[in-house]
Amino acid sequence: MAALADLSRYDRHVERIAVWRNRSRRMRYATYFIITVLIAWSIEAIVVGDTDWSRISWASMLKSASQFMSVDLSIVGSLMEPALETALMATLGTLVGLVLAVPVAWLGAMNISPLGRATYTLGRGLMTLSRSVHEVVWALIFVAAVGLGALAGVLAMGIRSIGFISKTVAEAIEDVNPGPVEAMRAVGASRFQILLFGIVPQVVPVFIGNVIFEWDVNIRRSTIMGLVGAGGLGLALHRQMAAYNYGGIATVLLVILLLIVAGEIISYYARRAVI
Amino acid sequence: MPAILEVQDLRVSYTAGREVLKGINFTVDADDFLAIIGPSGSGKSTLIRCVNRLVEPSGGQILFEGRDLLKLGESKMRAERRNIGMIFQEFNLIERLSVIDNVLTGRLGYTGTWRSLFRAFSKDDIRNAVRLLDRVGLIEHLDKRADQLSGGQRQRVGIARALIQNPKMLLVDEPTSSLDPKIAREVMTLIREIAREFNVPVLCNIHDVDLALEFCSRVIGLQEGTKRFDGPPSEIDKHVLADIYSMEVL
Ligand SMILES: Nc1ncnc2c1ncn2[C@@H]1O[C@H](COP(=O)(O)OP(=O)(O)OP(=O)(O)O)[C@@H](O)[C@H]1O
Ligand SMILES: [Mg+2]
Repeated sequence: MAALADLSRYDRHVERIAVWRNRSRRMRYATYFIITVLIAWSIEAIVVGDTDWSRISWASMLKSASQFMSVDLSIVGSLMEPALETALMATLGTLVGLVLAVPVAWLGAMNISPLGRATYTLGRGLMTLSRSVHEVVWALIFVAAVGLGALAGVLAMGIRSIGFISKTVAEAIEDVNPGPVEAMRAVGASRFQILLFGIVPQVVPVFIGNVIFEWDVNIRRSTIMGLVGAGGLGLALHRQMAAYNYGGIATVLLVILLLIVAGEIISYYARRAVI
Repeated sequence: MPAILEVQDLRVSYTAGREVLKGINFTVDADDFLAIIGPSGSGKSTLIRCVNRLVEPSGGQILFEGRDLLKLGESKMRAERRNIGMIFQEFNLIERLSVIDNVLTGRLGYTGTWRSLFRAFSKDDIRNAVRLLDRVGLIEHLDKRADQLSGGQRQRVGIARALIQNPKMLLVDEPTSSLDPKIAREVMTLIREIAREFNVPVLCNIHDVDLALEFCSRVIGLQEGTKRFDGPPSEIDKHVLADIYSMEVL
């Protein structure tokens, strides 16, 4: 019976772990309950209470749906230039973002940040700033700074793109295989050369992949830039809305959809080609 | 023969109060093929990596051709590293670069910032890289990406990368532990041959005692950060091994 006696030595651990599991299960149910209550409360507060239900009926819904159905093809010709502008804006914005993301990633990667903690915090702060301000807010800021037009949109998306690209690249830098870095130190490479040969080749796939992803997202973003006066299809949408031309709105939305689908397709093939 | 490397009272502690190397003394002569053996965790890799200061020692002296490496600032140390080639257990190649570019990185210490940015190595360096790849038997694989090679082939690239430095000494850390036994012997044979051809002394970690005895001209035995043996392979018997590995003599 030596084996049995041996097993009983573990009772202490078994008890502790089992009790802890039980307690965590109770915690979990309590959490579910609280979340359900919170969701119910927010639906009541912002949807049920805040909606003018008397205006919504089957008839009203059908009516607006049919208004949108009558696509106004007469404006298609005038949408080509804004569509092109939208795509170019997204592309230039991504380019601005990728160039600026490089130094930010360098600052924000703990293992290579030039002055350690201080520059790391600066880098991470810039990433958060870029990501936490909405692109439309960035656009408003740049419209105020450089005036109406596509340049404001380009800058807005560029600044908005820094965060995601630099964050993913900085994380890739922190996860880099240290072997090649060590080999480059051993041959007598300078700090810059170590970066260039030991680290850059390892993070290039992540960088390119995320730039393509961000370009795809920027196509979407650039379609609404015009709503705040920063050029592109958004401006056309704004005009049609101002004129209550539901058919025209539908047309612009269709063109936007086509552009986004084209962006998806291009980025899919680009990603496949590069990685 | 004058000593190329003279290590005196070398001490290392990664964490305060716990010494991993506890005052090591030895020399490497110009024609040495010196093996360091010892149980896992005895400090073999730490010792080798102190020589080119990939690990920063906490005390002692490392005299390389008479110059104390531990007294050098960053840029002078970088210049000294060019004279010391290193071969790694995990090869440490740059996976996405071609074989030839990997070898050429061995010249970075002699290549300016702008040239390295565009990988514009000099024609002489390129010619030398091709010659060395031919020597290690990889001339057909020149343009392949490093991650397409087998383990043995990768280690040959690592060897060529160390040689293109024109090193005055080779540091070798477990060159064969990631390889199967047959390839391991081939790689050891190659390292011994090139050591003679290029006239460089070798300081080499091996945990496989048989390989050490077969290929090396001198052996150092480490145990828990102290040197327990220093002599030719012929003096190693089971008592010596029992002492280094602190085993009972059977
Ligand atoms: N970077 C490090 N930080 C902290 N401790 C380390 C570090 N590298 C090694 N050590 C410790 O130092 C001791 C010696 O390690 P070292 O790698 O030099 O041994 P080794 O003889 O090469 O072993 P092996 O045969 O397993 O490669 C070990 O106890 C190890 O845990
Ligand atoms: Mg080791």
